[in-house]
Amino acid sequence: MRNIFLAIAGLALFAASCKKSDYALPTPSTKLQNQAIKRTLGPNIVGQVIEFAYAGAILKGKLTSFQADANIAGAAGTYMENQSYYTAQTGADVGVPVGDLSVTKATNTMVTFNVDTNAATLRYYYVIPEEARGKTVTITFTAKSADGESVSTVMGPYTVAKMDMKLNMKLTDNNAMYISIGDSTVYNATDAAAHAGSIDLVYLYRNLTTSAFGHALVSPAADPMYLPGVTLPTGVNRSTKELKAFNLQDHNLAPTEQYGGIFIDDIDLQTIDLSKSPNYAINLKADAGVWCQTADGKYNAYIFFNSVGTGTATVSMKRYKLK
Amino acid sequence: MKRNLSIAIAAVLLLSTWACSKNIPVDGDGLLITTRRECSVSSFELLGTDFVSVRVGAAVIDTVAQTVTCTVQFGTDLRNLYPQFSLAQDCTLNPKITGLTDFSDLAHPRQWTVISGDRQIKKTYTVTLTVQPR
Repeated sequence: MRNIFLAIAGLALFAASCKKSDYALPTPSTKLQNQAIKRTLGPNIVGQVIEFAYAGAILKGKLTSFQADANIAGAAGTYMENQSYYTAQTGADVGVPVGDLSVTKATNTMVTFNVDTNAATLRYYYVIPEEARGKTVTITFTAKSADGESVSTVMGPYTVAKMDMKLNMKLTDNNAMYISIGDSTVYNATDAAAHAGSIDLVYLYRNLTTSAFGHALVSPAADPMYLPGVTLPTGVNRSTKELKAFNLQDHNLAPTEQYGGIFIDDIDLQTIDLSKSPNYAINLKADAGVWCQTADGKYNAYIFFNSVGTGTATVSMKRYKLK
Repeated sequence: MKRNLSIAIAAVLLLSTWACSKNIPVDGDGLLITTRRECSVSSFELLGTDFVSVRVGAAVIDTVAQTVTCTVQFGTDLRNLYPQFSLAQDCTLNPKITGLTDFSDLAHPRQWTVISGDRQIKKTYTVTLTVQPR
């Protein structure tokens, strides 16, 4: 009897597993709908922009406004586009004006629509303020329609990096050659003497026939053989630990280049071990980089060589304050 | 019936055990021990922390004297180098290279032992570095 019951149950299961349910087209919602994506990649750095695309649509009726509310007010330059973009066949983004220029008041940025449209995608550019350093940022997007309906989407929280960044510092051999990581500045000899206690590195270029010296970042306290022909200003004597890298092409430090998605983040600058590193780096080229730690252990930094000339170099730096 | 089933299971287990017990010798690292008796270094490379070669010219390998002599660029950070050996087929190297290696004590060159494929022949190579003058 028990066996018969099991056999029937098995047959029923078999029959049920073969039954196909008819596919039905999903019914579009008549309510106001919205969606947002974050367009920027990599760490969120103070002074940089986080870009979002915010879309809203309603089946019947029209949109009246889009707004973004940040938990920390964006820095100057925060705005929402008043154009809705679509991608042309050429692949180019084409903007169609749909509203007035955005108005930003404290944490709120709003675009009021001035055309009759029931769907739009607007871009929102949040400039990360100093206040957000090391904190998290959350953006709440809200769309409103003419019938009084509203809908919201929360994006984040996004952690804002503690590090900071200085791009395109111009170095010139025998002139602007004294780098202060603490000040994020390059000094000439006169100014370096006035900031002697904060000079971490000396840039020099030597075209030697006997060895590959080339472009170099050398600590003032390094063996003088790595500072040929350099007379240091009085008091410039710090020893910075340095570790050479190559092809570590951080996308933030070289934004105009078509490099891959490599980003140096807080964690990299926190954990890089420079305890066994020397206090000089010579024979540096374009796309080379140098991890550094200041003599007082206050900063870890990564200095990237964007380009080099004869006796000149353009470098960019990410810097993390350790203590 | 039950007895036959037990016999069948036992037979299958026995067969599978026998099928898995191949008589292939491997060393402690799971590498195949072969019959090859060649025991030499065929090429040598030295990389800096940026994974760029620091050699000036090719390394000189003397398989009779069992030495590797290499000149490195002026300014090379001798404490942080990645050595790379190419060995004769099936050889192993001892000690293993697991990361950055310190070559800064130029008076006491580093040594590595090459072990042949049959693990019977061992040859110790001395790696001597010379820093290019400025």
